[in-house]
Amino acid sequence: MTAFDANWSLLTPEMVLAALALLVFTIDFMTGIHGKKPFIGKLSVLSLLVTAVLVLFMNNSGGQIADLYLIDSFAMVFKLIILVGVAMVIMISLHYLDRNEEIYQGEYYSILLFATLGAMIMVSSADLITLFIGLEILSISSYALVGFKKHHRHSTEAALKYVILGGAASAFILYGMSFLYGLTGSTSLLEIGQVMPTLFADYTVIMTISLIFMLVGFGFKISIVPFHMWAPDVYEGAPTPVTAFLSVVSKIAGFAIVLRVFTFGFLGVHEEWVMIIAVLAAVTMVLGNIIALTQKNTKRLMAYSGIAQAGYLLVPVAALPFIGTFSINMILFYSIAYLMMTLGAFAVISLVTEDAGTNDLSSFAGLFQRAPYLAISMTVFLVSLAGLPLTAGFIGKAHIFFGAAAADMLWLAIIMIVMSVVSFFYYFGFIKQMFMTAPKANDEELKVPTSLNAVITVALAVTLILGILPNIVLDVFNTFNWFALF
Amino acid sequence: MIQNAWLIPVFPLIAFLILLFIGRFLKEKSSYVGITALALSFILSVMVLFERIGGETYTYVIDWITFGELTISMGYEVTPLNAMMLIVVTLVSLVVHIFSREYMHDDKRIHIFFAYLGLFSFSMLGLILAPNVLQLFIFWELVGLMSYLLVGFWYFKPEAAAAAKKAFLTTRIGDVGLLIGLVILFNQTGSFDYADIYAAVEGGMINETLITTIALLIFMGAVGKSAQFPLHVWLPDAMEGPTPVSALIHAATMVAAGVYLVGVMYPLFLASSTAMTVVAYTGAITAFFAATMALVMTDIKRVLAYSTISQLGFMILALGTAGYVAGLFHLMTHAFFKALLFLGAGSVIYAVHHRQDIRDMGGLWGKMKITSITFLIGALAISGVFPLAGFWSKEEILASALLNGDGFLFTIALVTAFMTAFYMFRLFFKTFTGEYRGGDHDDAHANDPGVDAYGAADVAEADNPRDDSMDEETHVSPAEDHDHHDSPKENSGFMTFPLIVLASMAVVAGFVNLPFLGYPLEGFLTEGINVGSQPHGELWLAFVSLAVAGAGIALAWAMYYKGSISEDYFASKAPGVHKLLINKYYLDEVYTAVFVRPTVAIGRFFWEMDKSIVDGIVNLIGRSTSSTGRTAGRRHNGQLQTYGLVSILGGIVVIALAFVLRGYFG
Repeated sequence: MTAFDANWSLLTPEMVLAALALLVFTIDFMTGIHGKKPFIGKLSVLSLLVTAVLVLFMNNSGGQIADLYLIDSFAMVFKLIILVGVAMVIMISLHYLDRNEEIYQGEYYSILLFATLGAMIMVSSADLITLFIGLEILSISSYALVGFKKHHRHSTEAALKYVILGGAASAFILYGMSFLYGLTGSTSLLEIGQVMPTLFADYTVIMTISLIFMLVGFGFKISIVPFHMWAPDVYEGAPTPVTAFLSVVSKIAGFAIVLRVFTFGFLGVHEEWVMIIAVLAAVTMVLGNIIALTQKNTKRLMAYSGIAQAGYLLVPVAALPFIGTFSINMILFYSIAYLMMTLGAFAVISLVTEDAGTNDLSSFAGLFQRAPYLAISMTVFLVSLAGLPLTAGFIGKAHIFFGAAAADMLWLAIIMIVMSVVSFFYYFGFIKQMFMTAPKANDEELKVPTSLNAVITVALAVTLILGILPNIVLDVFNTFNWFALF
Repeated sequence: MIQNAWLIPVFPLIAFLILLFIGRFLKEKSSYVGITALALSFILSVMVLFERIGGETYTYVIDWITFGELTISMGYEVTPLNAMMLIVVTLVSLVVHIFSREYMHDDKRIHIFFAYLGLFSFSMLGLILAPNVLQLFIFWELVGLMSYLLVGFWYFKPEAAAAAKKAFLTTRIGDVGLLIGLVILFNQTGSFDYADIYAAVEGGMINETLITTIALLIFMGAVGKSAQFPLHVWLPDAMEGPTPVSALIHAATMVAAGVYLVGVMYPLFLASSTAMTVVAYTGAITAFFAATMALVMTDIKRVLAYSTISQLGFMILALGTAGYVAGLFHLMTHAFFKALLFLGAGSVIYAVHHRQDIRDMGGLWGKMKITSITFLIGALAISGVFPLAGFWSKEEILASALLNGDGFLFTIALVTAFMTAFYMFRLFFKTFTGEYRGGDHDDAHANDPGVDAYGAADVAEADNPRDDSMDEETHVSPAEDHDHHDSPKENSGFMTFPLIVLASMAVVAGFVNLPFLGYPLEGFLTEGINVGSQPHGELWLAFVSLAVAGAGIALAWAMYYKGSISEDYFASKAPGVHKLLINKYYLDEVYTAVFVRPTVAIGRFFWEMDKSIVDGIVNLIGRSTSSTGRTAGRRHNGQLQTYGLVSILGGIVVIALAFVLRGYFG
């Protein structure tokens, strides 16, 4: 089997995005390294939207390039989520970069586009090497993005930590993969999956170690306990839009590869890993939420909140072998909800903390008086994160509760319900500041730039619409036969 | 007309939207938008009720969410129970809107207040019309959120902001149980529709243990919402909200939602005798303990708040002893007379310049004729005096406790009924009879809204209800105006009309279930739902009930009117008990010590672990390696290594876990 007679046109969106990223890079060279370049940001958003349209138009009924690269509905939905997410991150960046001139704007945007390309490759790959390359493109770009505030100690320190720990995580993944290759002689997840049950029976210890090593590495990328410790430091140090990128886009792409590897490679031996994932999900939900209770820094709080949310998303992964496609629906729906409510919240946080000059929770004091629309939108994002009805977060969580119960993992659903109530306490910290505290030093009306307004409005609309009419998305999902594996 | 029942919640929603967008320009006129909407809802509710009495249950649903192969619908339904509830909620909400027009008219944010009231009414009516329990849950959360906003309406008072948060989060604890119960229920029956659930329970599709579990979990939700022991602590604090809000949300409607929930899930509860026992005892214990606390409170609204908890306990007790109709009948009558008492209290508070301590009141009988008489009617009704509404419904609850409960439950109910009459008339005599004690503004008991720097302006305005911006109905000359600061006077028609309406209801509402008419309400409510046969007391029970109420009133009369028994008689006889009651059994303190502090401590512990304990390991490593000449001691680099180390250790733990799960270690 050779890959060279494959249908390369399936890669059109990726190629176009790569070309546009290079174009952005080139324009940056031509316009000098310093200065404000909002047009480059806008060009980047346009590039992402063009790519998204191309993704939509690609044949999603099982096109593939050898066994390496799949253009299936699973990849398509994840790619759309990622592209929309990055577009929103760039919209948030437009304002942030305006305020932080030390960041070289052209580089920033083009690296963000390359990171996106990495994420797209990850979600489509069905081969360990392709997958790893995608992962590294995303990771290395992310390390650079975290350190973009060159003159800030926190930012560079965060970048350094991220590089070293991220490198360690990648090493874990690679080491785990090497066992798989060593025993099967293949890097194709589909081939590995076919021989997995006998392989696991013959080499139980090695296969378990391989599985766990990959899980450790992936666990780092999606920041689940006990591999979460980098997240609060890195989130705090990184420029706020990059924090948003890490907590949403990287995390969702990470879940996509977890799903690929575990369904393609390890579905046949699911009894080996289901409990591990379930326990990790439980620990992640409990610790993420409880530590978040003690946080007063908005970005660290969002880091722990993001850890807790990763725990919620891990529940359907554990339930996957028992309820199949239903589980994929749950993960995708919650990913969309998570994307919207988290990016919406970060858009508000970015504006408010930049305005106040501090990341402390008290920067939200009296926001309702200063910018009512902002405060109400933020409230919707927060109650959605906490899982109150009429928001996408509630439907997503309810979906997961019912799925876990259907998979006979009621205990996991109960932990999730209890923990989502705990989360009210810290999300209410924001709400209390916004509605029930007088503005601190600055009580002038807070002006919302158009680009941020657009992000917030889109996020708000989607959060509410999916909370009231979730079938708009669920009906579409139901027409997809995700992997044809179930 | 019954097909248009969906419009009932829509009117207040429209009012909310109008006020949201143009409320700022309407200012005081905002009230008319709300009043109009609720009047339309009320008229429609009456039409729907009459149509339902002669007709059948009407259900309209459409598909909403697809969970795998299961579909959840949404829509609305008009059953006998919710047709009755519609009347209660729209009527109380309407009169509260009218009352607030005057009570809140000095508040700068009056349009926001009416917007919130509209959204609350929408949510509450949506809860009632829900045809399935998931939709009920959605509106259930929404009313909770509105309660949060309305309790915290005067957020510049720190107590109000704290009370709002406490109210919301405490009820959330009950909601944990409710949500878990719903998940299990859905898992078992594959549906949230009431009809499907009844059928599954009656068809024996769910085993008995599971029914008990589900019923108890769902009951947890009711315990939180209806402020039952041990989650009742939020309701007295919620009195920090404006008084009309207390009347609407924390007396008549939202707090009754828990009782309503048990009502609509009744076949499920009936199928488990364990669950019924738990429900009955929870109700009885709540009724009793809340009444004991009401005996000693001096804040007029707090007495009423404990009274509400106690009466809700009565309803729960009735439901737990198979008195389906008794519980829901009391829910209806209580809504009217408790809203009356709260609005009466509001009228008094308004007249005495926003003080709430009954030790600063007294002698208002001659000064506020309508308020006094209607408040007396309310007090007689809640005490269970013939022939007022409370008499009929309370008598049925006693019958239910006697015939289906046990001696303990019945005794508790009787003792509570006695205490109810006593504390209500303690309140009445202290407030309306004797000498007016509120002339001195420097009084130590003054209970003004907070004086936070930010809120001071608003408060000052709210505190001077008789300033120049008064409307014509109550406009008085400047000389008299000055006089008012010392001498309370009856309020305008906007405040007395609601009192008269509710007082009439407190008189007549009991007649809908007269024994010698063959219990018409019972026939109506039990139609189409299998709730077993309803207990009825014999005639002697009515006399016992009356005698108990009479005794309570007489004792209060002797202590607080005649003065033949000293007011401090019991407090001085049993100071320990008195202190315990004043401090509300120290439950808030216990909860803080047992639940709040440990959770925060655990969070801190793990946070420290993520942070400084890790630093300790770093330093250890740094010290142990520095002797070899390596430069590993730099702090942030060291921390980084530790993170890596912890990740690797974590990996090893997970590998160990994997082997344990596989059984490698036995």
